[in-house]
This record gives sequence, C-alpha cells and structure tokens, in this order.
Amino acid sequence: MIEKTSVLAQPGRRAALPIMVLLALGFVAPLLAVVGFSFMPARTFGLWHEPTLENYETIFSDNTYVSLFWSLGLASATVVLLALICYPVAYGLVRVFGRWSTVLTLLFTIPLVVSENIRLYGWVLFFIKGGVLPGTLRTLFGVEMGDFLFTPAAVLFGMVYVYLPFMLFPMTLGIAMVPNQMREAARDLGATRWQVFREVELPLSTPGLMIGSLLTFVLAVGAIAEAKVLGGQRIIPITHDIEIAFTYAQNWPLGAALAVLLMLVVSVLVLIVLRRFDLDQILGKR
Amino acid sequence: MTGTSEPILRLKNVRKAFGNLAAVDDINLSIGEGEFFTIVGPSGSGKTTLIRMLAGMERPTSGDILLRDKRINDTPANERPTCMVFQSLALFPHRTVGQNIEFALKIRNVDPATRAKRARELMQQLHLPADYYSKNVTLCSGGERQRVALARALAFDPQILFFDEPLSAIDYKLRKTLEKELKDIHRETGKTFVYITHSLEEAMVMSDRIGVMRRGKLIQVGSPNEIYSTPRSRFVSEFMGDVNVIPVESNGAGSVRSQTLGASFKVPPAAIESKAQCLVVRPEFLRFLNSPSDAQNSLKGVLYNEYALGSRIQYQVRVGEKVFLVEKLRQQPFKGKLDDEVLIGWDPENSILVADE
Amino acid sequence: MFDSKLSRRDFLKTSASAAATLAATQVGPFAGAAHAARDKELNILCWEGYNSAQVLDPFRSSKSATVKAESLTNDPTMINRLRAGEINVWDLINVNNPWARKIMLPEKLIKPLDRAKFEPYFAKMMPQFKPPYKWAMDDSGKDLLGMAQRFGPYSFVVNTDKISRKTAEDQGWDLFNDPKLAGRFGILESDDWNVFGICCIAGFDPYQPHTPEQVAKFEETAKRILKNKKVVGDIATMNQAMISGEIDCHLTGGTYSASPARADGHLNLRGVTPNKGPLAGGKGGIAWIEITSVVNNPHGSPLAEQFLEYVQAPEVAHTVAFAEGTFNPVAQMGNPECFKLFTKDQLEAIQWDSLEEEMARSVEYDIVPDYDKLLDIWNAAKKS
Ligand SMILES: Nc1ncnc2c1ncn2[C@@H]1O[C@H](COP(=O)(O)OP(=O)(O)OP(=O)(O)O)[C@@H](O)[C@H]1O
Ligand SMILES: [Mg+2]
Repeated sequence: MIEKTSVLAQPGRRAALPIMVLLALGFVAPLLAVVGFSFMPARTFGLWHEPTLENYETIFSDNTYVSLFWSLGLASATVVLLALICYPVAYGLVRVFGRWSTVLTLLFTIPLVVSENIRLYGWVLFFIKGGVLPGTLRTLFGVEMGDFLFTPAAVLFGMVYVYLPFMLFPMTLGIAMVPNQMREAARDLGATRWQVFREVELPLSTPGLMIGSLLTFVLAVGAIAEAKVLGGQRIIPITHDIEIAFTYAQNWPLGAALAVLLMLVVSVLVLIVLRRFDLDQILGKR
Repeated sequence: MTGTSEPILRLKNVRKAFGNLAAVDDINLSIGEGEFFTIVGPSGSGKTTLIRMLAGMERPTSGDILLRDKRINDTPANERPTCMVFQSLALFPHRTVGQNIEFALKIRNVDPATRAKRARELMQQLHLPADYYSKNVTLCSGGERQRVALARALAFDPQILFFDEPLSAIDYKLRKTLEKELKDIHRETGKTFVYITHSLEEAMVMSDRIGVMRRGKLIQVGSPNEIYSTPRSRFVSEFMGDVNVIPVESNGAGSVRSQTLGASFKVPPAAIESKAQCLVVRPEFLRFLNSPSDAQNSLKGVLYNEYALGSRIQYQVRVGEKVFLVEKLRQQPFKGKLDDEVLIGWDPENSILVADE
Repeated sequence: MFDSKLSRRDFLKTSASAAATLAATQVGPFAGAAHAARDKELNILCWEGYNSAQVLDPFRSSKSATVKAESLTNDPTMINRLRAGEINVWDLINVNNPWARKIMLPEKLIKPLDRAKFEPYFAKMMPQFKPPYKWAMDDSGKDLLGMAQRFGPYSFVVNTDKISRKTAEDQGWDLFNDPKLAGRFGILESDDWNVFGICCIAGFDPYQPHTPEQVAKFEETAKRILKNKKVVGDIATMNQAMISGEIDCHLTGGTYSASPARADGHLNLRGVTPNKGPLAGGKGGIAWIEITSVVNNPHGSPLAEQFLEYVQAPEVAHTVAFAEGTFNPVAQMGNPECFKLFTKDQLEAIQWDSLEEEMARSVEYDIVPDYDKLLDIWNAAKKS
C-alpha cells in the first residue's frame, strides 16, 4: 500500500532537518548573498538596491580576463605537473609498499598542519638572494642562480608544492586499488611490462588520476598565497582580484560578481570533464 | 591417454617455500600432451602455488619445470605459451567483452579486423550472443563472464590452459553445464588442460588423470577410477567421498582384526601390506543382510538414521561407538525401521587396505 | 593550508556579515540583543597593535570585561563596515587622521568625546599635538572627536648600504623614475598609500582634484612602476627582500614598516622622507596620525571612554608603541614619564633621531578626492 506522506513524515527526514537547516544557513545563505551582491550597484553595501548588471559589464570590459587566465592557466599547469610528478611517485610507492602506500601518502599531509603562509615564507628564505639555495650554489659551486623568486615559475613551484598531497593521495589509492590479478592476467596473456602499464594499470588507475586532478584543480584555482608570497604579486590571480575588491577597493558587488564568475567557470569546466570521463564507466558499473 | 602421449610438461623436484613454509614440496610429475589433468586437495595444500609456478607468476625455490624438455623456470609469464583462467576471472573491467577476448591479439599487434573475426568465432563457440561483442564486461552474468574469460584465454591460443577453480563461485546447475562445455572445448581444441578444483565430482567428470595434493606434496596421481577404487591412503579415500574406515591390524594370511569392534575381517590376500592399517569399504559396497552367512564379513548394529541423496539413500548404522554408512539405490530402499537391529556386511574383494595417513 | 583560502574565507565572512547586516536593518537582531547591559564588554575595530594581548589583557583584568578587537590594515574597509551596519557592533574605531572629521562625523558614525575630560591629555603630548589638535577636532573646532597616539612618517624605505640616506632624501620620489632602479625595488602592498606614492612619483599632489592629464600620467606611472618593480608584498616580504639584497628600496613605507627590521638590528633599513616634492608647500613626505574615536553605537559600552583614558597612561602608551607587529612613535612620548621608558635600541628602531625633521617635511595623510578612480587604475595596472 502506498501512502501519501508529507516530506517530513519520515522520522529520518525529520531527524535530518536540523542539519539541513544548518547547511542551508551556513552554505547556501552566504552563497545566495554573494549572488545577490553581484547584482548590486558598484561600491554599495546592501542588498536592497535595484539590481544591475554593471558589475558583470565591468568584468567583461575590464582586463579581468588576465587574472582569470592566470588562475586557470596556473591551476591547469599545476594539475599537469602534479600528474606527471605524482604518478611515478604513487606507482613506486604502491610497488614498494603495497597496501601500506596509501597510509604512507597520508604522511605527506602532515605539513598541512603548518600554515601555508609559513611554509611559503620558508621557501622564500630558501630561494631569496643569499638564501639557502642560491647561497649553497655560490659557495659550493660558484654558480650564480638566476632570478627565480618573484617569478610566475616560483608561483607554479609553490602551487605544485602546496597541492601535492591532494594529488598524491587519490592517485596512490587509485593505483593501489588496481587488483594485482589484473596485472598478472595481462602479463599471462603476453603483455610486456610496458603493455601491462599502458593497457591495464593506467586505464584502471584513471579514477584516482581524475579525482586527484579535479581536486587539485579546484583547490589551485582558489590559490592566492603562492602568487602573493612566492610570486611577489608579479601576477594577480582572480582570487587576489576578489580579495582586492572586498578589501582595499571596498567594492563588494564587483568582488561578488568576480566570485560568481569564477564559480561558474570552474563548475562548467568540472562538469565538462566529468561528462567527458564517466567515472562509472572507468570504474566499471556493477 | 596418459601413458601414450608425449609429456608436454615435466616437473622435477619442484619446491616453493614462503619463509619456513613449503607451500609446494618436492613435486615430480609429467603431464601429457592434450591431457586433462586435475589437481585436487584441501584448502592450503599448495594447488594455487603449484599452478602459478607453471604459469610463470611464481618462481620455484628449487627444482625444474620443463616444457617440451626446455627448462622454463626463468621464462616470464608473458613469454610462456600458456594461459590461465583465474578464480576471480580477472576480466578487464574497462574493456568490452570483445576487447577482453581480443586482448592477447592486440598485444601481438594483430590487425583489428582479424581480431574481431577471431573474437566473434570464439563467442559463437562459447555460446555468447553476438551482440555482446560491445557489451560492458562488468554487466555480464556470472556464467557469461566465465565464458568470456575462457574465450580470452583461448584467443591467446596457448599450448596449455591452466584453470584455478574457475567454477567454484557458480551455482550447481550452471556449473554442470559449464563443466560439460569445458570438456567439449577440451575435445574440440585438443589442448592440454591443467585444472584445479575442490570438487571431487568435477574432477571425476572431467579429468583424464587426477593428482591429489596434501600439505604441498602430490600424494597420489592416477585416473579417476584408480583414485576412486584404489586410494593409497586413508586421506585420499576420505577425500574421494564418504567412506567407512576401520583401523585394523594384520592377522596374517587374508585376515585383519579390528580392536575397537572386536571382530576380524577377510580381505583379498594380495591387499595386505605391512603398514596397511586401515580397512576402507565404500558405502555402496555395504549391504543389509538377512543372516550373517549372506556375506563373508558381517557386523550387527542398530539403524540410526537415513538420508536421501538424490538417486541413492544413505543409511547410518551404529555398531558400538562406530557409525557405518550404507547406500542403496532409491528404487530398492531398505525396509527396516529406525532403531531396529540390523545386520550389515560386505565381500572381501570390495575392501581396500590403505595406510593410515 | 587553509590560510591560502584567505580570500574565500574573508569572502564568506564578509558575505555572512553582509547577510547579518541585511537582517539587522530589517529585523534588528542587534537592537534586540543590545538591550542587554554592555558595561562589561568592549569591541574595538583597529589597526594591529591595539588587538595585542599586551595591550588588552591588563584592561580586561582590571575591568573584568570581555574585550574583542579586530585588526584590519585598511581604513576604508573599517569605515565601510560601520556604514554597512556594524555601527551596532563596535565601540571604538582606530583609523588614520582625516576620516574622523571629514567622513565619520558628518556621516554620524562616531560621536564626540567629553572635551573637558580628554583635552588635558593632549597638553601632555608632543608639541605638535597641542590642543586644539586639528585632526582630533570637528570642522567648527568645537567638538573633540578622538584621541591621538601612534603616528609616523611614511614615504619610502631604502637600504642605506645601497642608496645613501642623503641621495634618497635629495632625489625624493624621482628615485623611482630612474630606469637604473628597474628590478631593484619593491612595492609594499597598501593600496591607498600606493596611490599616494604613484601620484608623488608622477609629480603631483594626491590630495588635490586631478585633471584628465594627471589621471593619464598616473596610469602611465602606475604601469611603469609596476613593470619595473621586483616584488609586491607585505611588510615581512619587503624587509626580507631588503635584508637579503633582492631589492634596494621599496615604495610606501616608513617607521611603521621598517621598525621591525631595525629592531632586529638591521639599521641599514631606513624610512626616508624626501627633502622636497609635489605635496602642499613643496613638501616631499606623507605622515599618518591615528585617531581613535568612539563609535556612535546606539548601545555603546561605557568602557569605550575608559579604554581611551587607559591607553594614555605612560606605561600603556609605551606598550602600544612596541606592541607586537610594528613599532611606532606615540604622541605620549612628549611626557617625560613616558619617554624614559624607551630604551636606546627602541628609539633607534623608530628612528627617533630624525623623527622631528621628517614630520616637519611631511604633509598629513588626507583623503584623495578621486580615490576610487585612481585605485581602479592602480588595480587594473597590477594585472597587466
Ligand atoms: N605469497 C605468499 N606468501 C606467503 N605464503 C603464501 C603465499 N601464497 C601462498 N602461501 C601459503 O602457501 C600455502 C598454500 O597456498 P595455496 O594458495 O597454494 O593453497 P591452495 O591449495 O590453492 O588453497 P585453496 O584451495 O584455499 O585455494 C598456504 O598456506 C598459503 O598461506
Ligand atoms: Mg587456491
């Protein structure tokens, strides 16, 4: 017998209600406020003005695309570099440590308890003139190090460094989850080690690669400290633009519009990728 | 088939140790060209370890493996003309049925058209619907996946096919069908099959020869009939199904004595060996007697219980502390009642004397 | 790593406060909550230093009060927080000199102090703060709007091992127009001060209305300076880059920014005030003076005025001068009781030796008439 019940009639739903409300208040409300602000006239501080598109017009007539380009470009470069760096590392970890490798990669997250800014300042001291690296190079080899600190390359370095654990962990998990019998079966069917890798291990570990890439991409698009600290603001990512709009420029509506734009761009990119690579398909539906 | 064909595979003193444990212990064996050889044994007896060494996934600690007289101990799996069907099947979940079957051909750079043609032939031979070619392999049923795994191995065109309990996770009826199909494939291809199973029935139905493993050792090798009718040890006889085992001592010429039953039994004179300490009688050779003189060996007991086993009925008869099993065809049931006193007996030629190990 | 989400976090925080603001104006939760007695709590919106435990803890324990202080590094942000409804939240606001009389009083964001009670404190301050002190008074000169404490010259900072103090003072802002300096200077991020600095480098007074030609010149200068700079960053970055030799000088800075490095013994880092420049009266430097005012909070805490008195005490004034973060001269150094608390090293850190002449060569921080326009140009230039 099918009974018509109100949404809240089920005890489970009723029990979940406080959490839903909390989620709505803590997550949806600020988001709505941001969207709302993005339609307010420039440099106003309330939501009761007549909505306008001027902020979006400003964004598109302005050179915002430059910072958007830097954010997306650096995030993409970070993801590519991380994929290239982490895959062999993860592969080696799984080979050597087997099941323990995922636990081991968690060790890479230990530095995360130290504030990112402090870690990045550490790198500044490492790369700065007379710092650890240039100093060592000069005293040991008499080599003068070219400019690295305060360049886009330094920003990329910082991002790769900061987001490494977020790529390494899912990737290691992905590779560790490839059943050993898949490798054995492929090898038994005549595949060389390289063919086993290309035909079986790589495709079967793509979910890890994909999840790691999406995660690091979304995080890296939101990066700001690397460009500020290691890049010496040589480049301005869009997040910094948003910060400027909300602080120095005191133009909340413009900041909100930038934030909405960023969210949209990232969501669309993520959706495209998810659509392109159906995770279910790769993992094998059961 | 055994003695006549040339051995394709020879094992000489093959041993595999994991730490202190000898998972496979000093095995000598020849497997003939085109033979269906089955390895049975309890869990942990080293069956998988043995077959993995033969397939090249594990390296023997000592001893030699010879394929057509060529030592292959150090040949990696991908360079051996052999192929394995795993218990888990190990199908590639990111590939379609067709791609799975064609895998070995793709590895060999066979052109796509030839590959597809061969895959479709195999699918037909294994009763897989043609439109499964592009089906996601993870969406196939258990039996279908079994067939895909076999087709994938056959596409490799191996000289020897290894099977590690491929049917153990399949329900009885389908297993029977697949057993038959496997046997047919064996006939059609003429390839050498080395097959592991837990199931005695499976071994009996399909094999040319059976090897029984216990604690890493191959304790008896022979045709299903030999293994069944002349087990060499209590272990083998018990492994081959329900049997009546009576610990005995030799009484001299043609007779043994059971201490526990306080009785002596006649046996064929040739059967007595010095260390033969167990008398084995299969339940179907025991029968209910009207008088002790109806058989040369007889015992008095109480009918304790009865079980219907498909085509046969099994009766449990208590003689003192010991329970004897007697089997009769369903069409000719015993008319006694439970707790009745009954007489059971057998003929000396139906008794086997085996070592107590 | 969560620090890096600064913008996003700020963003949420800001939007949350915006949402709260919205609610406040319509439903008025603050009004409801504020009926509770607030004589045991105090909320201060300030530049860093006043929010340090060194300064606040003695006050907290003596009044057994809950004191919250939030530090920001930007005046317009603080004022906009009040404008957006947080006038119901804060009791004290600590910003640079012009805002109280030019903006906050006319907008009724702050309220005047009891002149009889507070004016005597000015008498004990350094001579230039003698009452009635311009920035502490309203336009009519009748109302006292706040108290002065920290101040300092703020033009640019050089490494005197690379550029002598004399060269820097003589060349003034033109230093940064020298192509030879390209790639050897930094910019201390502080957008309003950066706008002042670019105006000075471009050769005109930031505090006067600007002609379109001047705006164009500003844009050209901003782009050129940003192109030639080595690094933009915070105080720590600038000092580190100066000490290591990555840069020889940096734009917009002074005692406030150089003092932490000087206190560490790097006396070759020095805030410089140009001898002459495009500012009013041909002056070359800009100085800031903080004015702390009582917010026009409808349910303001009585502790607000008590706190203003508390920080006038010589010991507390000395603590404020050397609170964590940056170190600065305080107006109360005019009182010998206070001055004697400063050690020789501390005086050296805040460039006491040249403070008077630097202040004399500086105009006081003011509001740029077309600030928004110039700031937009500056921010856009940063990106290209
Ligand atoms: N890689 C290994 N390392 C250590 N010990 C192993 C390894 N592989 C197998 N063994 C041990 O060797 C013994 C034989 O194992 P094997 O898998 O060959 O048994 P099996 O006869 O196939 O058993 P089952 O019927 O349960 O599959 C077992 O005791 C097992 O624990
Ligand atoms: Mg096994």
